[in-house]
Amino acid sequence: MEIIRNMWRRKFRTFLTIFGIIIGIFAFTVMGSMALKLNKMIAGGKQYITGQITISPKGTDYTSGTTGMLPVDLLNKIKAVEGVEAVEGGVGLMLDEPDPDNPTTVSFSAPKSIYSFDPDSNFKNKNWETMAMKEGKLIDTNSAENDISIGINIALDKKWAVGDEVEIRGRKFKVVGIFDKTMTGPDEYVFMNIKPARELFVENNPFLKSLKEKSDNAQKISDRELANLPLEARQQIIEAQAFKIEDVSTSASVSWKDGVDPETVVESIKANYKDQVTVLSPKKMGEEIDKASSTMNAIIFGSAILALVVGLFSIVNTMIMSISERTREIGIKKAIGASSRSIAIEYTIEAGVIGLLGGAFGMGLGMLTAYLINQKMASKGAEIFLIDGTFMIEVVIFSFVIGIIAGIIPALRASKLKVVDAIREL
Amino acid sequence: MKKVVVSAKGLKKTYKMSKKNIVQALKGVDIEVCEGDFSAIVGPSGCGKSTLMHILGLLDKPDSGTLEIDGVDMTRLPDKKAYKIRAKKIGFIFQGFNLIPTLTALENVILAGRYGGLKATKRKARAKTLLELLGLKDRLGHKPNELSGGQQQRVAIARSLMNDPAIILADEPTGELDSKTSLEIMEILKKLNREDNKTFLIVTHNMDVAESCKKIIRLKDGKND
Repeated sequence: MEIIRNMWRRKFRTFLTIFGIIIGIFAFTVMGSMALKLNKMIAGGKQYITGQITISPKGTDYTSGTTGMLPVDLLNKIKAVEGVEAVEGGVGLMLDEPDPDNPTTVSFSAPKSIYSFDPDSNFKNKNWETMAMKEGKLIDTNSAENDISIGINIALDKKWAVGDEVEIRGRKFKVVGIFDKTMTGPDEYVFMNIKPARELFVENNPFLKSLKEKSDNAQKISDRELANLPLEARQQIIEAQAFKIEDVSTSASVSWKDGVDPETVVESIKANYKDQVTVLSPKKMGEEIDKASSTMNAIIFGSAILALVVGLFSIVNTMIMSISERTREIGIKKAIGASSRSIAIEYTIEAGVIGLLGGAFGMGLGMLTAYLINQKMASKGAEIFLIDGTFMIEVVIFSFVIGIIAGIIPALRASKLKVVDAIREL
Repeated sequence: MKKVVVSAKGLKKTYKMSKKNIVQALKGVDIEVCEGDFSAIVGPSGCGKSTLMHILGLLDKPDSGTLEIDGVDMTRLPDKKAYKIRAKKIGFIFQGFNLIPTLTALENVILAGRYGGLKATKRKARAKTLLELLGLKDRLGHKPNELSGGQQQRVAIARSLMNDPAIILADEPTGELDSKTSLEIMEILKKLNREDNKTFLIVTHNMDVAESCKKIIRLKDGKND
């Protein structure tokens, strides 16, 4: 009680100090929640990517968006590599046509994309065998070709529900399931059968589209007609006929047999097909992801801690001022029998309370901000903050501890005051 | 023979204000206070009254000499233990009342009980009794700035009595009071001495106050006069 009254004595000064802490903790809470969300997304991605060996065609450049193709023959050869359990070719493409008027949209979530599922493959990601469903079911081998399962954010943003007939890039699909919120990549994914996925991919790639048209036309030519054509034309047509849509894979996922070290499998694939594919090892990818996320965390927490250091010094300053104002009181208390320790504790707790109040209000304000922004973004499924109870409590405790730390030096100064010197100020 | 509460011999204290300004505040003072004494220390300003008071109250240490309180040698007492003796054996009454401004009259008295190690449940009852005894029944919840000088000094007296100390040191207890209130306060102290056998040592330069004491100790120029 006395502590609160002492703080109340200099209302404005106490308010300013607490306000300083509020700003610091506010920044810390907001940035921390953002970091938590990013980390969760990254962790989800990491779990997925370390559960399989990912293969992309040589020359794939993720930054420019250039994709190559993986011929089906090559995938079949990789299937034969020792230790490989299954290989699933796949295509991935953006859910929506990019908007030329608004080409870059910075987002805290993964872009909305189509992921293919091959019902004929027995590939399974080691860490991510199935998805928890909010409603309906995940497409499987028994699903119809145009059945899709979608992430929660897609459902929210597009207002798609289970049972709806929907249109993706001009083609009709039926929503059969919505995943539970994962806070990670799959929230933004449409899972569909490989066949329509490939067709959409070809449809949206002018080069492949013309190849396919040539091939389709070539297919129409009967063997008898072909036999009558000149050799050169015949060869061209045979080549055109050879194009199969099954050949279109932009990446492949490889699983390894139980008990086999995935890194050995990676090395074996590399040894044989280094010239044709880029092999992403689960271990290395995991390390890369950790490196990226730790750098990001350092930046986010670093700037938040900067704000807190300012707060810390403002507590130190306030406490030193209030102690020098109360020198006389400290003298009296010591004269009537207060121990140095009890004086030190009293002032340390006062600083702690400043930290605690600033922390509680700052955290509340930060969480409110995060909540409101999330609410606004939720309809688009683009929440950028993760509101986490443990983190909230930790922030307040942290702020209390900051206060205590800031209070220690001034409190020790107070406790070491010589009674006679303090009394002389009477 | 009466029990000796405070016994000091050959107390010396020098203050070094700067390299060239060295003040010899005490040049060898002897003093003895027995249980039930009501003594005054008098002398002109600068004679070392306050320094002596600080040393007797364990707020400061002598450079040499011996000091016993309640039969215990204080000269070898480490600083860390002095606060316990201050809390339990010594009561202080100051010239400027020196109450904690944020605390009420009752809380000010309770605080001394807390430092003196009284149980939380007993503190409040005892503080109340003392304040009521001193005629402050209606002022328990008032803060120092809501009390008159005389009332504040009565709170300070209650505070000094809280732990039933061996001796109460009063430094100019009437220094900031008008003559009528001064008389009242002195009457209270005398009554406590008369009826409860409380031991008082009062520093003053007011001769009226000194002459109302049973015994007068005179100091001059840092020595017994």
